[in-house]
Amino acid sequence: MIAKDISTSVKKKDHDGKISGQLAYISDVKVDSMLYGVLYRSPIAYGKVRSIRLPPLPEGYEKIGAEHIPGNNFVKLLHNDQPIFANEWVNYIGEPMFMLVGPKLDILYQLVDEVEVDFEEHPAIFTLEEAIKQKDQTGVFAYHEFGESLDVIKSIEKKAHRVIEEVYETGYQEHVYLEPQGMLGIYKADEILVKGSMQCLYYVKNALISALACEDDEVRVIQSPTGGGFGGKEDFPSMMACHVAIAAKVVKKPVMLLFDRAEDMEVTTKRHPAKFTYRTAIDEQGNILSMNVEVFLDGGANAGLSPVVLQRALLNSSGVYKIPHFHAKGYALKTNTVPNGAFRGFGAPQSFAAIESHLGHISSMLKRDPIQYKRNYLVKQGDPTITNGRFRDPILLEDMIQDLLQTADYTKKKEAFRAFNQQNKRFKKGIGASLFLHGCGFTGSGERDHIKAVVKLEKTEQDQVLIKVSNSDMGQGALTTLSKIVAKGLDLPYEDILFPDPDTKDVPDSGPTVASRTTMIVGKLLERAASQLKAGWQSGVAQEVVEHYIHEDMIPWDEETFSGDAYPAYSWGVNLIEVEVDILTGSVRIERVYGSFDIGRAIDERIVKGQIDGGMAQGIAYGFMEKMTSQLGKIQQKTISDYGPPTAMDLVPIESKLYDNPYAGGPYGAKGAGELPLTGGAPAVQAAIEDALQIPFYQIPVTPELIIESLTKKDGDARD
Amino acid sequence: MGTVLSYRLASLEETIAQLSREDCQIMAGGTDLMVQHKSPMGAPARFDKPVMFIDHLKELKQIDQVNQDLHIGACCTYTEILEHPLIPNIFKVAIKQIAAPAIRNRGTLGGNICNASPAGDTLPLLYIFNAQIRLRSSKGERVVGIQDFILGPRRVDRLREEILTEIILPEMLADRIVFEKVANRRADAIAKISFAGSMRLEGGRVGEARFAFGAVGPTIVRSLDIEQKLKGEAFPLDPKVVDGVVAYFDRIITPIDDHRSTAAYRKTVALRLLRHFLETM
Ligand SMILES: Cc1cc2nc3c(=O)[nH]c(=O)nc-3n(C[C@H](O)[C@H](O)[C@H](O)COP(=O)(O)OP(=O)(O)OC[C@H]3O[C@@H](n4cnc5c(N)ncnc54)[C@H](O)[C@@H]3O)c2cc1C
Repeated sequence: MIAKDISTSVKKKDHDGKISGQLAYISDVKVDSMLYGVLYRSPIAYGKVRSIRLPPLPEGYEKIGAEHIPGNNFVKLLHNDQPIFANEWVNYIGEPMFMLVGPKLDILYQLVDEVEVDFEEHPAIFTLEEAIKQKDQTGVFAYHEFGESLDVIKSIEKKAHRVIEEVYETGYQEHVYLEPQGMLGIYKADEILVKGSMQCLYYVKNALISALACEDDEVRVIQSPTGGGFGGKEDFPSMMACHVAIAAKVVKKPVMLLFDRAEDMEVTTKRHPAKFTYRTAIDEQGNILSMNVEVFLDGGANAGLSPVVLQRALLNSSGVYKIPHFHAKGYALKTNTVPNGAFRGFGAPQSFAAIESHLGHISSMLKRDPIQYKRNYLVKQGDPTITNGRFRDPILLEDMIQDLLQTADYTKKKEAFRAFNQQNKRFKKGIGASLFLHGCGFTGSGERDHIKAVVKLEKTEQDQVLIKVSNSDMGQGALTTLSKIVAKGLDLPYEDILFPDPDTKDVPDSGPTVASRTTMIVGKLLERAASQLKAGWQSGVAQEVVEHYIHEDMIPWDEETFSGDAYPAYSWGVNLIEVEVDILTGSVRIERVYGSFDIGRAIDERIVKGQIDGGMAQGIAYGFMEKMTSQLGKIQQKTISDYGPPTAMDLVPIESKLYDNPYAGGPYGAKGAGELPLTGGAPAVQAAIEDALQIPFYQIPVTPELIIESLTKKDGDARD
Repeated sequence: MGTVLSYRLASLEETIAQLSREDCQIMAGGTDLMVQHKSPMGAPARFDKPVMFIDHLKELKQIDQVNQDLHIGACCTYTEILEHPLIPNIFKVAIKQIAAPAIRNRGTLGGNICNASPAGDTLPLLYIFNAQIRLRSSKGERVVGIQDFILGPRRVDRLREEILTEIILPEMLADRIVFEKVANRRADAIAKISFAGSMRLEGGRVGEARFAFGAVGPTIVRSLDIEQKLKGEAFPLDPKVVDGVVAYFDRIITPIDDHRSTAAYRKTVALRLLRHFLETM
């Protein structure tokens, strides 16, 4: 089929395999003489290993540990602080210390149970609060400070009518991808092959080269069909890949490492819990004079991607607003808890929850409607960013807000809700909004300096075109959207474009599948490759074209001073959510959800709708349902039902709308769409609950427990 | 790999006969048992006794009315109960909030009772209905009240060779009957607290009032004492009477903190639901 309009939806490339259940995920794979691995994990949060006593291992069972690592005993990413096998110090409960491998899982579990390890325990840091208190001594993974000078802010605050200071906290979030983590290492005489569920083939490959101390062509990585990632398969799979690769090399057999749900929930990365302090000076009319922000992220036991997550958290700490005299600083701190890592939104959902909450509270102190108040500060095309970059492209936010207020009949609805709340003793209705953006692609000059993406198109003698990129389809539709871009460029039917499972032996490094960059950055390169191939098309001849990333002209990003254009483009969103709160139980029922988005142009409307529905559900649940806690370094919720991600019963059909605002730097005008829809869910649902109860909240998730506590306190205050 | 011996016999009689000869793990829908006995991934479930399947026994799947009593076979699944016209509506309200369709197609009423979780969603209603449990073994049969049958979490007054055959639900006349389940989401969730209440009025006074709370203690909490005291009180209730009932339950409800919720929340919500029930009609 040759579609006229690129946005028209097509049947997804992986549709048949998934619908029929035939598609083999990594845990479905069985190969001859395959062994399983089970990790022995640290039972303590912080300490030094004194001795390890293994039970007698039956024949065919082996211990694989740090002593088998030919190269570096760390997972190569940003800092070198994450051991592959922690053999000297352990830094969190669940940290892998070694792995037992053998043919039978039940025997492996029993053996692991019988292991005895003697530790010299040290006092651990369990909470972000403790980490903040002692941050001057240890454990700062990253730190940035930028914006207006503090002297200027101080003098503004001195003269201000009021200075409003609020502390705001956000909790863990678990990815709950449908397919838990899994990795298979296969030994071959001349190479180690690793297959598994992953977002970033070359992160895995680079980690393997470092761990195995081998040449580029001695390791090979193939992405197996991936059942969801959400960032959880960005940094984490590299460690598992090292485990199975080292084991396979030692035992010279295939080694499979699979997590079940409980193990996955306990030890894999999560969204960073965060703590913010916002201090805002206002004049008598309620105008904002200055804003000072402090952010702390709980990085967990090793740096992982925390330094980059911190950057995005800071870059979004002023929301979609132009704030005079803005200053921010932030830290990513170490705690002896499960490492936190990439998660859809990458620090931004925390910041948007905080800034939207803060401005919402200021507007209600001023007795102004929050949306109207926030509209006074919207950034406009040409405005500087908080890092002295520029919003270069048209911004449709104002139109989107106006449209949505009309569609939802906002003013009337607010009145109707007020009347309802006055007469209903049990249920209270509320409506809340969030305004947000997403900086598309890698932060700063990452694309130019670190990723340097390359894509390849191969044409066979039969004139079939194959896409050769290192990007994963993890359910988000990359196979389909990238194929559509190439098909359109070549004027070929979409069905004729082939997209084999990415294999590093075969595909260039087109970068990781993260940061809402795949469609926009990789898609643009493929668009260019397609037009190059078309220009030189010779029927019946095998041909190959390659395209390299070209950096757009922007204000250069300087990570040291935290200045310049942090992103080439921005996607935008407005959410409006209506809730009904049961004040007897604190239960919140979502009644209506609206989402308006500017993602440039949709490459496939149904796929984008899927991203919106899933992303908003995930974001809304982050705001009031999904609660994960750590007690003395141990994650408490090990099942899906205890953690409580939303079911179809917890949501309503999402009323979404796309605004066309093509971006020249993206293929056919597309910008990033993957992370944006998650970002506005939490702040909108918090605002709606606050509107219903007329009580401010200073943390998410706004759980029934928190609601009941606040209501009880309010009742008490009213009686006093 | 260990094997599990199991029986799936053709009739209830044969099942009972076998149970008298051998100590077995009775399995109805298996929706509690399989979770309790699961091993980590890739390893078989562990059972230390032979498994006796009973989910197919027709004798345990009847629903009928005998005089004013409703007899519900122990192995009726939630879906079967939901679809049956004789089942009181309030039970359907409760059952619709259990798990999700797949589990409701397997899980049974008998299983919910014998599992005896304080968060079992059918239990608060069974308590206020004064449900009776019929047990059979090769030695004969007996009938016990639900409040005597359930002893504590996962503990019931059942002899090894006994099988629960049916639940007898006496008719209950009430002007108002409610069931409330509070959980972290609207499907596939375990109750943080549940409440069942019923009230019958006689000439502007309380004829009978019953209340039961789930997930706030080791078993369902119900007090015949306070129910007795409420009899004859003028309705709407005097605020002092309401305060008295609430204060009474405030003393006897002793919930705990766990990974699902807090003791304070459970207590507060239980009492709020009770107060609301007493104040509205
Ligand atoms: C995903 C999921 C969600 C769930 N959600 C809920 C929920 O919302 N609310 C809720 O209350 N429960 C819930 N449950 C628990 C479970 O489904 C119910 O308790 C169900 O009623 C158990 O019935 P069963 O037939 O499956 O019991 P089984 O697992 O077969 O048995 C449970 C126990 O009862 C014994 N037993 C069963 N029948 C008899 C009998 N006739 N005679 C003697 N002993 C017997 C068994 O030996 C066993 O000890 C959920 C379970 C799962 C897996």
